[in-house]
Order: sequence, then structure tokens, then C-alpha cells
Amino acid sequence: MNGWILAAAVVLGGGVGATVWGVATGPLRRRVVAQNLCTAFACPALLLLSQGYDRPSYVDLALVLALLGPVGTLVFARLLADELAADPPSAWGLTYAAAAVGAVVVPALCVATGPSRAMAKLLVVGALLIGGNLLASRALSGAFPEVRRG
Amino acid sequence: MSRRARLWLVAVGGAGLAALFVAAALDLPAFGGDHHPYGDRAVHAALTRRTANVIASVNFDQRAFDTLGEMTILFAAVIGCVILLRRTHDEHRGRPAPEKVARPVRRYSLLVLPVALLTGLYVIAHGQLSPGGGFQGGVVAATSLHLLYLGADYRALERVRPVALYETGDAIATSAYVVTGLAGLIGGSAFLANTVLPYGTFNTLSSGGTVPLLNAAVGMEVACAVVVLLARFLDQTVEIEEGNGK
Amino acid sequence: MADAVIVVALLLVALSATAAVAVRDPARQALVLSVLGLVLAVLFTVLQAPDVALSQLAVGSALTPLLLLLAVHKVRRRGKKEGHHR
Repeated sequence: MNGWILAAAVVLGGGVGATVWGVATGPLRRRVVAQNLCTAFACPALLLLSQGYDRPSYVDLALVLALLGPVGTLVFARLLADELAADPPSAWGLTYAAAAVGAVVVPALCVATGPSRAMAKLLVVGALLIGGNLLASRALSGAFPEVRRG
Repeated sequence: MSRRARLWLVAVGGAGLAALFVAAALDLPAFGGDHHPYGDRAVHAALTRRTANVIASVNFDQRAFDTLGEMTILFAAVIGCVILLRRTHDEHRGRPAPEKVARPVRRYSLLVLPVALLTGLYVIAHGQLSPGGGFQGGVVAATSLHLLYLGADYRALERVRPVALYETGDAIATSAYVVTGLAGLIGGSAFLANTVLPYGTFNTLSSGGTVPLLNAAVGMEVACAVVVLLARFLDQTVEIEEGNGK
Repeated sequence: MADAVIVVALLLVALSATAAVAVRDPARQALVLSVLGLVLAVLFTVLQAPDVALSQLAVGSALTPLLLLLAVHKVRRRGKKEGHHR
């Protein structure tokens, strides 16, 4: 057991645990936010685990999650749009808190890795994760002006 | 059967299953531990064939026949879906109105689509080196195409996705797996035996003999299967409207 | 001590799996299911099975919710139409 795995356990127990509670109870607007934040917490946890087990190839898991997690949230935002428009979710404090977890974990891991290709991969994961989550959160809250295609 | 009889049946069945589970769990080796006879043999076999990812070696070399079975299951499931979700004679194809999409969502989708596609291909290509492989990479690649549905609308997706092509690709990839297996048979030993190709240098893209080939075949099969499957679901939801009764 | 993270992951899986069964509305169930998929992926990772975790992530994070919600959409639209005809 090292500090990285301990940090991962804390992020999992605190962050992901809270989102499991959030998604299981309450109105729809709370559940979609919790689903989005689950990605934002689980992805840094996977990065921490990769560092803790000293297995750089586990970073692929976080990469796939950072790519597909926000896509999953966009699926919900698209197909539940009618219900969400009636009762739009808004949890910017929580969203920024979750983004901050990613913004703390990724630089810490970069420092531990040192400049290399692995560090570039970490930075890509971090950018995809934070960008994707903020965008998915805005899409859920319906804050975007809508445009017609074509 | 009455409600009461059904409950009894479930209770008896459940109790039997629970008893068997408990009996089996008591006989399991302890959690963790360092004695893994099967694992040691699998790792040894993988290393002699110069496959860095032991799981890939198990899937596409030591247990390649099982993977053929799994592949066939997916293939059959997709065929079943295509048949069940076809347009019946009293349904008609509507022209869905263009969907409203927020501009940042569209930009994000168009930006992430190539990255996700590339990641999918990377996961397939590195199947024998790092975690991942044909199935995982194929699903990621197929999902990435559907960012067009999220970022624009269904018609934009349809333009870049000729379903017939993917159906053909699905069949070709499944055949390619069988053909690689037959090559093992003709090459001297047994169906799907990894004896046809040189094993290459450990931990490079071409290492592992037939493992990368079978891996690529599975990747293509899964990607095409997921695209066809989602196409049927999207058709049903977005385009096909039911007839107004008779 | 090294098992702490395994215990946390197991507890999360047990909680979210129970929630997935207890929630009755299919759309909300899809939300819980996507969180369950993620937590399962974490469990597979801490049990050193990254290949399985990657499969779970690939399928569970976007594909399963999309398939489920498309089916829910279709069924709801049909229900609305039939209600309208009556």
C-alpha cells in the first residue's frame, strides 16, 4: 500500500461513493449530474491506481474513460432532453470541485512521471477529462444557445 | 401455475442454488495467495510465443477456439437483431426533422471523434502488448462514429455509414478468423494452432505469431457488429414510424 | 492495508448494483447502470484485471446507455401514440 493507492481509495470512497448515492436517489436532474461527476472522479482514481501499481499501461483505462464518459453523458443529455428541459440540472459548485480533483491529480502524476511520452499521454487524458466533463455539464443544464443543423 | 406454486418453485430453486454456491465458495482457494498453477502455465506458454499480454495469448492462442465461439455468438446476435428490427410492411420510413444541437457540443463531438477512433485503433493494434484488444478497441471505434449522431444528427451519420458495407465487413472479419484457423490446420498442426507465422521480437507490434491477426479480425468484427446493431436501433427510434392501424 | 481499496470498490459495486435493481423507471435505471459499469471497471482494475475493466468501460460508458435509451424512446413514443388513439 502506497500513498497513490491510498489517494485512489479516498477519491473512490468519497467522490465515487457520493455519486453512487446521488444517482440512486432523488429527481432526474440530480441523477444525471451524479452520472457525469462519476466519470470525473473515477478517471483520476484510475490514474492514481496506475501509478500506485506502477503499471503505465493501465493509463489506457483512464484514456478510454476520459473519451467515452462524457460521450455517455451527452447521450443522456440528448435522449432525455425533454424531461431535462422541464427541470434543468445545475450543480456548478460540484462540477468545478470534480474538475479540480482531475486538475490536482494529473499534474501530481506528471511530476512523478517526469517529462516523457507517458507524461504527454497523462496531459491528453487530463485535458479530455476536464474539457469533456465541463462541456457535458453545460449540455445537461441546457445553458447552450441551440442552433439548427445545416 | 398458481402464484403460490411459482413462489415455492423459486424458493426451492433459489435455496438449492445458494447451497451450491456456498459449497463451491468454501472449496475456493483463499483470496490473493501466491500459488497459481494455471496462471503460471499460461504465463509460461505466452512467453514462449513472445506475447507480452498474457490475456491476449489466452484469448487468441491458447483458447482461440473459445474466442471463435464468442465471436459467433456476437455475429448471431447481430443477425437476430437485424431480422427482428427490420421495417415491417405496415411501417413507413419518416423523414426526421433536423435536430437542434448546441454549437459547443457539435465542436466537441467533431474534435473527439478522430481522437476516439484513433484510440480504438490503438487499443486493437496493441492488443498483444498492453491491456485491451480487438473487442475493446472495436467497441471504442464503433462508438466514436456515433459522435456524429450526438454532434449533428442522424442524417449526418447515415451519410458516412453505409450499413451494407459494415454488414459485409462483419461477415468478412468472421471468415478471416476461420481462414486463419484453417491456415494453422494446413500449415501442419491443428485448427487455430499458432504455428504458421514466426513469433517475432518480444513486445513489438508484430510479435506473437497469429495473435495480432486474430486480434485484428475480432476488432473488425466487433466494430462492424456494433455499428450494424446501433444502426438498427437508431432506425427504429429515429426513422421508422408505425402505420396508423388498418 | 493494501486490501482497503478492494474493500472500497466491492462496497461501491454492492451499493450501485442494489440501486440498479431497486430503481424502477428504465431511464433512471440506465443512469444507475452506467455508474455501476464504471464502478465495476474500477473493481476489475484493483483486482488486476485491466483487460476486463477495459471491456466494461468500452461497453458500459456509452454503448449500453445509448441502446437502452433508444429502446425506451421507441416504447414511450408508441405508448403516447396508442394513448392518443384511445
